[in-house]
Amino acid sequence: MSFAFRLMFRDIRSGDLLTLLLALVISVSTVTSIGLFIDRLQLSFEKESANLLAADRLIRSDDVIPAEWEKKASNLTLQTAQRTSFTTMMFADNSLQLSQLSAVTDGYPLRGAYLIDDMLFGTGQSSTATPNQGEVWVSSRLASLLNVSLGDQVEVGDLALTVTQFLVRDPGSSASAFAISPRAVMNMADLAATNVIIPGSRVRYSLLLAGDRASLDEYEDWITPQLNEGQRWRTPTQRGERIGDTIGRAESFLLLAGTLAVVMSGVAMALASSRFVKRHLMQVAILKTLGATPKLLGRLFFLQLFVLFVAGAVVGLGIGWGIQEIIASLLSGLMSTALPEPSIGRLWLGAATGLVSMVAFCLPLMSHLIKISPLSVLQPNAKIEFNSFAIYLIGFIGMFGLMCLYTNGFLLPSIMTAAILGIALLVASIGWFAFKLGRSLTSGATSGWQIGLASLYRRLVPNLFQLLVFTLIIMLTLILIGVRSNLIADWQQQLPEDAPNHYLFNVQANQIEPINAQTSELGVQASAWYPMVRGRVTEVNNETVQSLYPEERGEPELYERELNLTWSDTLGQGNELVAGDFSAQGLSVEQDAAKEAGLSLGDELTINIGGNLVTLPITSIRTVDWGSMQPNFYLILPKSALEDYPANFVSSLFVSDTEAQSFYRAMAQYPTVSILNVGDILKQIQAIIGQLSKAIQLVLFCILSAGALVLLASVRSTLEERLEEGALLRVLGARSALVRQALLVEFGALGFFSGLIAAIGAETCLFGLQVFVFNAEASFHPLLWILGPAIGVLVITTIGVFASRTVLKVPPMLLLRGL
Amino acid sequence: MDRNTAIKVSNLTHTVTSNTGDLTILKGINMEIKESESVAIVGSSGSGKSTLLGLLAGLDVNTSGDIFLYDQEFSNQSEEERALARGQYVGFVFQSFHLLPSLQAIENVMLPAELKGDIDAREKAESLLEKVGLSHRLTHYPNQLSGGEQQRVAIARAFASNPKVLFADEPTGNLDEENGRLIIKLLFDLNQSQGTTLVMVTHDNELAKMCDRQLVMSAGQLTEKAL
Repeated sequence: MSFAFRLMFRDIRSGDLLTLLLALVISVSTVTSIGLFIDRLQLSFEKESANLLAADRLIRSDDVIPAEWEKKASNLTLQTAQRTSFTTMMFADNSLQLSQLSAVTDGYPLRGAYLIDDMLFGTGQSSTATPNQGEVWVSSRLASLLNVSLGDQVEVGDLALTVTQFLVRDPGSSASAFAISPRAVMNMADLAATNVIIPGSRVRYSLLLAGDRASLDEYEDWITPQLNEGQRWRTPTQRGERIGDTIGRAESFLLLAGTLAVVMSGVAMALASSRFVKRHLMQVAILKTLGATPKLLGRLFFLQLFVLFVAGAVVGLGIGWGIQEIIASLLSGLMSTALPEPSIGRLWLGAATGLVSMVAFCLPLMSHLIKISPLSVLQPNAKIEFNSFAIYLIGFIGMFGLMCLYTNGFLLPSIMTAAILGIALLVASIGWFAFKLGRSLTSGATSGWQIGLASLYRRLVPNLFQLLVFTLIIMLTLILIGVRSNLIADWQQQLPEDAPNHYLFNVQANQIEPINAQTSELGVQASAWYPMVRGRVTEVNNETVQSLYPEERGEPELYERELNLTWSDTLGQGNELVAGDFSAQGLSVEQDAAKEAGLSLGDELTINIGGNLVTLPITSIRTVDWGSMQPNFYLILPKSALEDYPANFVSSLFVSDTEAQSFYRAMAQYPTVSILNVGDILKQIQAIIGQLSKAIQLVLFCILSAGALVLLASVRSTLEERLEEGALLRVLGARSALVRQALLVEFGALGFFSGLIAAIGAETCLFGLQVFVFNAEASFHPLLWILGPAIGVLVITTIGVFASRTVLKVPPMLLLRGL
Repeated sequence: MDRNTAIKVSNLTHTVTSNTGDLTILKGINMEIKESESVAIVGSSGSGKSTLLGLLAGLDVNTSGDIFLYDQEFSNQSEEERALARGQYVGFVFQSFHLLPSLQAIENVMLPAELKGDIDAREKAESLLEKVGLSHRLTHYPNQLSGGEQQRVAIARAFASNPKVLFADEPTGNLDEENGRLIIKLLFDLNQSQGTTLVMVTHDNELAKMCDRQLVMSAGQLTEKAL
């Protein structure tokens, strides 16, 4: 045992073990820092989204929340609060106004904060308090409609409440964003005294929960089976919600970035392991000659690798932790909120990467090393045959397993593996052909160019392997650059700065003109006006919805409720025709709704509009961009079918902060018009997108740095051979310039071909990722085809020539003796 | 096997596989070497001398036939058993020295004793290096030593495990005449003082003549050279 340590100490002194240790530390710290950082970002997104929900989790119910639900939550040490929301008339002196009132318990909101102000139409200060008993906070719009100021009294049912603040933002408002009446919030303790909630009232009860993830998960498992039709379990990042979708894609990106970090670490470890084993060939052979048994050597190296792993993991985890702290503190200036602390539990990933790459890459090589006959190493012209395919296959399986574990699925690792295999094939064929061509063009080599090109073919196998490593690293870089710019462009396109942030509802035909005049005077441009008529689908192909869904369960959204119907001669912004003819005198149905209801062109729907039944065939199907913030409709009817019904109109518009006050004052002249302000939600979403974009750029930077390190390791792995050749050339009288030129040509050609193949691979992978992982449309990336070869030539030549500079400076004799 | 016999070989054949097909390097070799004898194996390059020496030392496995080293029958042994036998009976000196470049001279010499778990490995190594005239070079690394000095370290290492048989593969092949003579003197002195059997592959006729017997390897076959 002590001999093992002595030998290890001597190995460390010589630097051989240090190279492997360094690769391990780089591996572990890269994966750890990126893993932890990604974890913090995810926690931060979740927290940001939780602010929109005012809680970590929420149960929404049409009935009163049973007391034992709250009790169970308290037993699990979860924080709880309740909110009861309903629409009610509020009175003040001579005014009355339908408003959206929320009664909240003390402690609400559990996440996020109110924005309140004591100025009408002020921008607000953050507050986590709730209104005291006897108080009410009203939105500026409601205050102007009721004509009340601070200190005035408003009546809700039987109770009079004093207005103490103007409500700018309710943190939980997104959960009920489409309740279009102006808002107010009061204390739950006053609710009973108002007597406004009577049996049959439409009330939405919410139980809000906050706490650690394990307790929340336990609670979810407990509550889910008890939820009935009218009850929903809500999480901040639920898919389908716009914010959930944005975060979902960012998470996919970060997951991809993390997986790539794992792959790069694997490559670094594979290179370092093979160098380590090569350097130990002689040691093992000599020890065997001196009587070391395979068992002893096995124990010796296992112990060495184990100690190395422990040291590498501890140092790597420490450095990784430090790096992500640095990244987080750099980012904190850019982010609006502080990042949450990372979970210690995520450290396993870095350690596992180190362990798997050591087991996968080092152990098979080591065990092979221990078995070979010493004579095959010690004879002067000995040539060691490693079955590298089998050895790398084990490493490959290890890495694949790690990726699966990391991504918690097979899809992403499979796409990446298929791509890597394809690339290996491409590298082998292109490289072999190009290097061979280079060789045949340079017979009778005398110039640096010719020597450089010739040596590509002379060391065909190591060069092809190096070409593969370079290609992979550049390809991974290009993929990340491609995905990053796609994602960010996609988000920015989705929500431009001037996306509409207000909806106007309940506008009568004769109000359109004066409203248009006033808004254009304020410099606010309204989008098109859409007439809206309410109607309910009652029959499908002459069969009643009741007979199709007798238990009123699982019915498609199209039949579930009364719908807003509109008519239009032209396809609105964000609508795209996918089948049929929009101008035909029939129904136009939104694609997803049609798919859910199993409808296709030609099917007939009967719609009950104000007691009259209208039956029309489906003549077109279209997609709708729900993110466009324009009024959108599931069903569009021909004008002839709707024009005789009384309609009110809807429009969306963008109102900037500076225009808001005058806009609200102007709109106060139309008390029947409802205004829905989604600006706060939009702003939050835009803030999150901004943070995501910055975070993603930073993660990209980290991965690129790791990539550069791997490139350096790869160049170093073949350095000795190059040094020996360079030294020999110089002994034979070659000038430094010739040797330098040969090195430049060799690395330049390797860089160019790896960049080119990487561009082919990255384009293919991006196609796969866009279509299958991000569910986006595929696009072509011309930039990658320029960037790939450029990065290849520049970076690899620089690193290569820098790493080989000793060959040009040190006397050849010293180099040859030292080898 | 005779009690005085150190090595006995019968019908030894060795075939290796190369790109051009199977190549039989050793063809039915029979030989016997007595304890404390010094034997030179001579022959042209590529005749199979070094392969034979490696097989005799248990560094590789022969294709057929038997090799006995004292009571060890290498042909039937596992690598584990052969390694133990090497540690117990064998010292080996190579033409290209094969010192571990990452270890100092003294650490190279300590290795065999350390492998056996000797606690006085350092003292033994120091005394051996003194015997080969390198007490002033203990902490030098191989690339800081001349060829002759490296070979002296290799000889000290070979004797560090008190071997019964010392195998030397062209021990002076990489050295100049003066250093060569010094090495030969060392080998024979240590051989005599420790009663070791010496089996040596060499091209050097003078060196071969110093041995008790000379065996000639030619086209994979071994014959005794009449003295």
